[in-house]
Amino acid sequence: MNREQAEIELKRIFGFDKFYDEQWETINMLFQGKRMLLIEKTGYGKSLCFQFPATQFKGVTIIFSPLIALMRDQVKGLNEKGIKAKFINSEQSLEENTQTIQEAINGKVKILYIAPERQENQEWLDATRKMNISMVVIDEAHTISIWGHDFRPAFRRIINLVKLLPQSIPILATTATATKRVQLDIENQISGNIRTLRGELIRENFELYVIKVNSEDEKLLWLAENITQLDGTGVIYTGTRVNTEIYSRWFEFLGIDTSEYNAGLDSVSRIEIEQGLLDNKWKAVISTNALGMGIDKSDIRFIIHTQIPASPIHYYQEIGRGGRDGKPTKLILFYNKKKDKKGIEEDYKLPKSFIDGGRPSIKNYQKVINAIKLEQLGERQIMKTTNLKQTQVRVIKADLIEQGIIKEVLYGKSKKYEYQFNAPELNTRSFDELRELKLRELDAMLEYVNLTYSRMKFLCDYLGDTSRNRYQNCDNTNLAKYQINPKEFTKQKLVEFRETYFPELKVETRNSNIVNGIASSYYGVSSVGAALHRCKYENGGDFPDFLLKLTLKAFRRRYGQEPFDYIVYVPPTESGDLVKNFAEKLSSILKIPISHKLIKTFETKPQKVFKNGYLKRDNVLNKFSYSEPYELEGKTVILFDDIFDSGATIKEIGNVLTRLGVKKIAPLVIARTVGGDI
Amino acid sequence: MNKELSYWLALAHTPKVKTKKKNEIIVRLFEQGNTIIDFFHSDFSSWNVKYGLTPNEVELFKSAYQELPNYAFLVEDLLEQGYNILPITSQDYSPILKKNLGRSYAPPLLYTKGNLQILKEKSVAIVGSRKANNISLEFTDNIAQNASKDYKVIVSGFAKGVDKQALDSAIKYKGQSIIVLPQGITTFKTGYKKYYKEIIEGDVLVLSTFYPKAPWSVQFAMARNPIIYGLASEIYVAESSEKGGTWSGVIDGIRKGRDIYVRKPTNREKNANGILISKGAKAVDQKGFPTIYEISSGNSSILSESELSGVEYNIIELLKQGTFDSKFIVEKLNINWSARKVTSFLKKNSEIEIIKGKPMKFTHKSRISDGQTTLF
Repeated sequence: MNREQAEIELKRIFGFDKFYDEQWETINMLFQGKRMLLIEKTGYGKSLCFQFPATQFKGVTIIFSPLIALMRDQVKGLNEKGIKAKFINSEQSLEENTQTIQEAINGKVKILYIAPERQENQEWLDATRKMNISMVVIDEAHTISIWGHDFRPAFRRIINLVKLLPQSIPILATTATATKRVQLDIENQISGNIRTLRGELIRENFELYVIKVNSEDEKLLWLAENITQLDGTGVIYTGTRVNTEIYSRWFEFLGIDTSEYNAGLDSVSRIEIEQGLLDNKWKAVISTNALGMGIDKSDIRFIIHTQIPASPIHYYQEIGRGGRDGKPTKLILFYNKKKDKKGIEEDYKLPKSFIDGGRPSIKNYQKVINAIKLEQLGERQIMKTTNLKQTQVRVIKADLIEQGIIKEVLYGKSKKYEYQFNAPELNTRSFDELRELKLRELDAMLEYVNLTYSRMKFLCDYLGDTSRNRYQNCDNTNLAKYQINPKEFTKQKLVEFRETYFPELKVETRNSNIVNGIASSYYGVSSVGAALHRCKYENGGDFPDFLLKLTLKAFRRRYGQEPFDYIVYVPPTESGDLVKNFAEKLSSILKIPISHKLIKTFETKPQKVFKNGYLKRDNVLNKFSYSEPYELEGKTVILFDDIFDSGATIKEIGNVLTRLGVKKIAPLVIARTVGGDI
Repeated sequence: MNKELSYWLALAHTPKVKTKKKNEIIVRLFEQGNTIIDFFHSDFSSWNVKYGLTPNEVELFKSAYQELPNYAFLVEDLLEQGYNILPITSQDYSPILKKNLGRSYAPPLLYTKGNLQILKEKSVAIVGSRKANNISLEFTDNIAQNASKDYKVIVSGFAKGVDKQALDSAIKYKGQSIIVLPQGITTFKTGYKKYYKEIIEGDVLVLSTFYPKAPWSVQFAMARNPIIYGLASEIYVAESSEKGGTWSGVIDGIRKGRDIYVRKPTNREKNANGILISKGAKAVDQKGFPTIYEISSGNSSILSESELSGVEYNIIELLKQGTFDSKFIVEKLNINWSARKVTSFLKKNSEIEIIKGKPMKFTHKSRISDGQTTLF
């Protein structure tokens, strides 16, 4: 098919008149069964480079993409054009995925999107034996490079697959963000005479700003006064999930319509929020960086980062989602430059802690290796034998697999990890190299913050785009800098907010009468944690009165004047009568009778000893009972404890009380931890 | 080698084409300095002339070609799970199997899990009935003990009776063994669990020649028997009836001139061991030693001297690639032989050409004759 013929088809199927030259060059190579790497900025039209040839091939084109939202959008778009496209991912039910697989086998699907993790799924692998496969596409190909900013272990398998594919099958890798080093790495890995096309990365409609502040409050204050002044709708990226919660409660408090998003949400809520974003339902969506990759929204007018991302590549990638329609778009980055006692700037700490905490200790690697040497283990068994957090176990597993020390073996539906005969020793040098790289990237991000020349030029240079453009449009060139100068009124508002903001405890489940509860504060964020620690672990006596006031406030906030029949409290493990004494004070002020009948039937260990949910749950399972079982039937109770961490204890007691016929169990605690910071 | 694997599976699992035909294609490619990739990407219409394929076979390989991407997915999955895939051209492929079965029967592809070095060692198969009597099981135990002591590998078919006893004994005596599966390499779940320690410590190698996901079947159990015989340098028969797998395997082996040792039955036993001895198998006693009769007939050793040890094999293989002196060979292969021992071994070996000079060098004869090595 020559270009002229192809463009007739293009018009017929997609409604476009012409290909860009690079698009046609790519497509033409694919028609010849060649391998291509295409590096073009977001919004360029990379997808057409595989969608078009896919419609012309006999069999199915498989697209590995890490972006669920993108799959959804593109499949919808393709279906509207009458092209048979489908996706397989965790958002669909098993039955839906199975049906899609069947259709692909039967030749009823032209374009099949799939998450790279699916390569570990037996049903999918069995199905790949029977499909007529015409082309393989790797979207977001920077994720296959360990030097890329978002390396995903599952992509390692895609690389292996690509190496095994016959030479005659066309392969396309695409990305918007690849440094020269990543580009070389991708070329190397895909091998087999791959050709690379690299476009320009400049986004002329971007207006780049950095706002340096001296406190976290200043960020909240600036946003309170300015967000409604910004054109259109946008996204606010926070560094952590806790911050998405705090920022969105703040906007709620101010009466500004926003929504909150993070990767922990269920897929129904995620889809709902993504749709809301598309429909401009809110002024802004507050989110961790989980949102937005691959969302096909052309008019995101602003993207604000309350924390610096890990590198300029991350930043370019994240702001790349804005202003795809080419209209002016504001990209604002906050940086808290206040120094702590050691002279370290506040906003340097979070990304630095991700680097430091990103890799488990060598001791823990050894623990996992030793456990797997003794017997085949599944992930849950590894967690139970080693007492490590799931996130840690996953990092360790991925590294050990990468190094060929263990393998993940599938037996039917169960996955076992097996040590390998002649396995090499753990190589920690590569860990150090990666750490060095990440530190250098973080330093480059700081360079961006403190930059005095064109910000877009810096980003393009950093990403290896050497073309000579006139770089404009930032607060270092032709735009005025934003200033922090909050009004007294706004400051007062923030004080009020601080005093009335209480974290929620999400514990509701279908089979329990427990409801979502409330904490008076986060453990690590305020003086509350320090006070608790003094009392519990340094013989500081009863919990101080300011905690009582705060807890009562939280109670009123969550439960108002709702009547309760009893206050019960979690029987202690090691802190003596502190919780009991505090509960008695609550009882006398709230005038709700206290019950001392919730007891431990077996000794438990302090929950903080256990590092993962399975062991925490096992530690408390069937360890509680109520000495007068009939007393609580049909009653409502407040369930009080000092610290809420994983929630395993509260949930287990919720189950026990539900079985005794309690109508409602309402949790109340002094502090909720943030990711295990006791 | 890895990028060839999808093509190897396509060849090996093309149905209705004889192993011999497949091996002949491989030999032809080998002789021309080509790879299996070249075969599949060459003009289909040249296949019948170049490789002597019938029109029907051409069609079968054409559809195998269509399935290459599918095999790529399968290979990726297998390698990811730690299985090894050994084409017949691989350095790791069992030299004993290749020699015993030759181009007519040697499978083009082996799937394994575990220590590949095991395939290079001298090996013993102990065969016999699933319902063997205690004398036979004791015999099996004795042979396995001797073999393990001599660093020989036990080849077991993982059936009940003698097979299982041979494996258990090898493990008991800290020897090494090969389990030859009557099923695909990925479907041995309980076995992998049971022999986990032995596998990861390098004492057990699991091997299959069938489609990796195929479940156990009677046909595979039958088809596996020649592989067991083929993998063994020596075959011991504990107990055979006058029909069935053991019987036909032994008869076939005698015909091919293999070294087959049959336990001399006691007078009260009702089995066909005696008949096998009368047909030319060598009689051995309960401990595996030749009976008086055997010794007087001039067969002085039950050890097969013609087989190469792992080190010896590696030396020969190295010399197929070039011309080297003994000192270099010791260093290159990192073996604990003295250079003098290497020299003495090579001087006696008929496959080796001595190149005079100082130092004396050696090479494989195949390199001298026509510049080509041979596959079989």
